[in-house]
Amino acid sequence: MAHLLREKGFNTFVIVGGLSAWRKAGGHLESVPKNDLIKLPTFA
Amino acid sequence: MNHLLLLMARHGYFLTFAILLAEALGLPFPASIALVTAGAAMASHLLMFPNLLFGAVLALLLGDSLLFWLGRYSGWALLGFLCRVSMNPETCILRSAESFYKRGKATLIVAKFIPGVNSMAAPLAGSMKMRFSQFLYLDLVGSLLYATTYLLVGYLSRDFLAVTLNSIRAAGRVMEVLIIGALMIYAIYRTVQFLKYRKYGMVPRVEVQDLAARLAAGDADKIQLVDVRSHGYYDIGAERILGSIRIEPNNLDEEAKNLPKGKDIYLYCT
Repeated sequence: MAHLLREKGFNTFVIVGGLSAWRKAGGHLESVPKNDLIKLPTFA
Repeated sequence: MNHLLLLMARHGYFLTFAILLAEALGLPFPASIALVTAGAAMASHLLMFPNLLFGAVLALLLGDSLLFWLGRYSGWALLGFLCRVSMNPETCILRSAESFYKRGKATLIVAKFIPGVNSMAAPLAGSMKMRFSQFLYLDLVGSLLYATTYLLVGYLSRDFLAVTLNSIRAAGRVMEVLIIGALMIYAIYRTVQFLKYRKYGMVPRVEVQDLAARLAAGDADKIQLVDVRSHGYYDIGAERILGSIRIEPNNLDEEAKNLPKGKDIYLYCT
């Protein structure tokens, strides 16, 4: 994805270790908003 | 063919059970071929239909039931694993679920005949909260239909199978050349892809400490943090880095229009 965004002219970087590393380093977090959640359809 | 029948005579029930169980668990085993071979062994009076059918259906029900419950409690993790051969596992999961939902629960009866759907049906049913009793009933009907069909094919085409196996042996040399040729073409394709994308070089990687320092230094308005995790990780209670936004990896062209061009984009996943 980073390569593709660079092709489109964006200056991209990748955070080493991702969310896990950020959490381990004590970085600030927030809850994912409900409207960002996608669930599978259910029969129940 | 005689060697195959001898093997089936000695270990047919066990082999049929084991191969069907393995396939029901999502492993790449040729269950239909095992059933056809067992059917041919039936035609030679080496194996008995009731025993074969019982073993086959039992194996399928056991494997499917295990995947049903794993799908119920592991959700995206198992489905993503089963979709791993797909170019885009998330799209594979969502499309399979929508197709299953639209066609209804009765899809389970014919799912085993459809490549790709056969290994996804049971865990999808679990993930989509189908009642277990209903799943078990539909899976039993589907397993009976599947096992009976292929056993019958083997039973009726025993002589044709003998001719086919002899032909395959004769064509073995040709197959070797074709397979080696296909592998060489694939290796050339991968090399071309590697050389094509090498020119983009490495994307700079940033340690979290360096990013945190940059944010603390007041550069927050020059930075956009972007979460590129698939929706599968977005269970209730999920968290993300403060101030980040999410972009849909499968819809990058549209999502890129909403990204700020003048800022440095920092991507992260799990």
